[in-house]
Amino acid sequence: MTTTLNRPAAGSPAPAKPTLTFRQRLNVFDMKASPYLYISPFFILFALVGLFPLGYTFFVSLFDWHLLKGQGEFVGLRNFQEVLQDRFFWNSLFNTMSIFLLSTIPQLIVATAIAAVLDQHIRAKTFWRMSILLPYIVTPVAVALIFSNLFGEQYGLINNILESFGIDRILWLNETLPSHIAIATMVNWRWTGYNALILLAAMQSVPRDIYESAAIDGAGTFRRFFSITLPSIRPTMIFVVITATIGGLQIFTEPRLFDPRTYGGTSAQFQTTVLYLYEMAFQRSNFGKASTIAWLLFLIIVLFGLVNYLISRRIATTGDDRGSGRRSRRRRRRSAPPALVLPAVRPQPPAPVAEPAPESTASAGTSQGKDERTTR
Amino acid sequence: MELSRLRKITALAGVASLAIVASGCSGGSDEAASADNPITLTVTTFGQFGYDDLYAEYEEQNPGVTIEANNIDGSANARTDAFTKLAAGSGLSDVVAVEEGWLGSIMEVSDQFVDLNEYGVADVKDNWVDWKFEQGTDPDGRVIGLGTDIGPQALCFNRELFEAAGFPTDREEVAELFGGDDATWETYFDLGRQYNETTGKAWYDQSAFVWNSMVNQMEEGYYTADGELNVEDNEAMRAQFDLLAAGTADGLSANQKQFDWGKGKAFVDGSFAVHVCPAWMLGTIKEQLEAAGGGPETGWDVADVFPGGASNWGGAFLSVPESSEHPAEAAKLATWLTAPEQQVKQSAAANNFPSTLEAQQKIVEDAVPNELFNDAPYGEIFASRAEGVVAQFKGPQDSEIQENVFAPALKILDSGEGTADEAWDEAVSLLNDRVVNN
Repeated sequence: MTTTLNRPAAGSPAPAKPTLTFRQRLNVFDMKASPYLYISPFFILFALVGLFPLGYTFFVSLFDWHLLKGQGEFVGLRNFQEVLQDRFFWNSLFNTMSIFLLSTIPQLIVATAIAAVLDQHIRAKTFWRMSILLPYIVTPVAVALIFSNLFGEQYGLINNILESFGIDRILWLNETLPSHIAIATMVNWRWTGYNALILLAAMQSVPRDIYESAAIDGAGTFRRFFSITLPSIRPTMIFVVITATIGGLQIFTEPRLFDPRTYGGTSAQFQTTVLYLYEMAFQRSNFGKASTIAWLLFLIIVLFGLVNYLISRRIATTGDDRGSGRRSRRRRRRSAPPALVLPAVRPQPPAPVAEPAPESTASAGTSQGKDERTTR
Repeated sequence: MELSRLRKITALAGVASLAIVASGCSGGSDEAASADNPITLTVTTFGQFGYDDLYAEYEEQNPGVTIEANNIDGSANARTDAFTKLAAGSGLSDVVAVEEGWLGSIMEVSDQFVDLNEYGVADVKDNWVDWKFEQGTDPDGRVIGLGTDIGPQALCFNRELFEAAGFPTDREEVAELFGGDDATWETYFDLGRQYNETTGKAWYDQSAFVWNSMVNQMEEGYYTADGELNVEDNEAMRAQFDLLAAGTADGLSANQKQFDWGKGKAFVDGSFAVHVCPAWMLGTIKEQLEAAGGGPETGWDVADVFPGGASNWGGAFLSVPESSEHPAEAAKLATWLTAPEQQVKQSAAANNFPSTLEAQQKIVEDAVPNELFNDAPYGEIFASRAEGVVAQFKGPQDSEIQENVFAPALKILDSGEGTADEAWDEAVSLLNDRVVNN
């Protein structure tokens, strides 16, 4: 309605200006401004709780700013200089990275595997799907408490079991790598099921007929998984990787509660950057430096975001790019002697020998592939 | 009948709500609370404070006052809570408990707390042991903290373990064993070595507590009396550090996690035989034993002796922040809670030792035995341990140095990962990172 009413006003040439009535002008305004008004709540909120704190944090980072005594003198970029020379800052970055890698990589592998299993025809599907989400419902605090007990050095269950097998106790709290593993375990326990469910949703949307034709062509379970499932869920996989990255760089609760009396271990062996920030602000009472750390962490996350963006642009695009990737693969396959393809195609009549076989194995973008082949 | 009663209740409710509205309008005024002018006072304490019954008693004596109590699990979290709320400028309770260790930081912003002199504290000034009252007074003479308890240190020991090692088990004999009034740290460590040789077990739970005790009994601790940092070239401190390092190197430390102790299990399974015990530690040990399912049969006892002479560790204060809406009422409550009579009750409930002379005397006279500690005459022992305690100046970063400079350095010793020199160097380097260049 509005659009048809508007068209003459919007399209009319300049001299017709005085003919605009108030209503018409209102309509023009509505056309132009409304979309922005509709999306404005998010941006207003973002400016209030996102942009302003970001800017203010930078402002604070330029001062000596004590938690209790408040704003001190302006020091320019001295805080940045000092934090960048601080061994604990680099230590916290190392810990964050280490815990991030120890948690994200196994987590995604296991989540994909679980999703693939749940994607099969199994009994009591809903039960299994609900079960894997269960850890996600438990609050991280409870998770941390339970796992801190399991990973206790002198009285923990895991060390007790290890000892009963005659293996030395592991110093889960006091040594760097074991503590990282312990924390990564908490993170994994909580997030694996969640990611598995997202990946499962993606897997469910892969057309079943592709699997069928692949199966007819003789592709085994693993082959189908690696050649069909994984490529098809790529965009979702990237989403999961990005959220896991952002979450991984902000790990706080688990290391905070793993040893609640310290800020990431007696010698900061599992102090993540966010935990270091927290300590700087609330234990060492230095708001200036805490803000500096916050900003550096922000820059690092932006950097990671850019890397993610570049990678995802390379692998997550639809249509042409993917087509070209397939095409080259197909070409490679076609150049292989047909004899290699043949044995795989057991039930099929041997008559139309080479050509159709690779066609159906690759299968994903069929018509497009055909077109391209004819042009070639 | 029914109807009229109902009407009466409705009428009453109406009046009451009117009264609330009226008092709401006059909110923030300093009028004394009464049944017609009800107010709510909030109190934040931490750890074992033993105030629950006292709140009820105060409410009963002062109609119109409702106390909303909030207890935080430990001093460190209470510190974070208080500091964040101070920084935010709101949210602090009307009465806040402050621990000796972070009183120094609070003193830096003492103008954010009410000068209790304005509310008649000067009249009861002599109740307290001098040094405790002075600790709560800022450089300008404003009294911002009223002492609750103090932490004179005695020595806890485990009878069962002592017996197994062929040591005497009677608490007086144990005091003699350690050298009575002339007990030294050297004897303490030598006995530890002897114990370790016969039993193969550790002597104390971990080094940091022993270290705190050693530092607390020095005339000047981490700061000089003028407020200068006093660590790096402090030879007396270094000598004590080496003494402790040597003991730990000989396997005397059980390398326990402080304030965790495997959820109390270490107090039950004989991991260590002695423990430095400021009065409030008995409350902590009680809590740990309960958590681990232990009782008097675990054999803990406390002896009237302490290596190196009198030492005080910890103790708390009650403060009223300027942000309180009812400073007069809050000050009245704080004064009442810290009065000798109430301190006696607090001590009974929380197993700590009062900071007022009269209360101390009363506890000695009452001589209520502590069942958990083999019926030890609690009051007598700690009153005797409190004699000769000298208040040490606590700088603004005292608890930071204790918990985040020396504790990590001592952990190097406990876990056997470094020598005394390495640990000391780490402490100095941490001090520079965290305190000097913070």
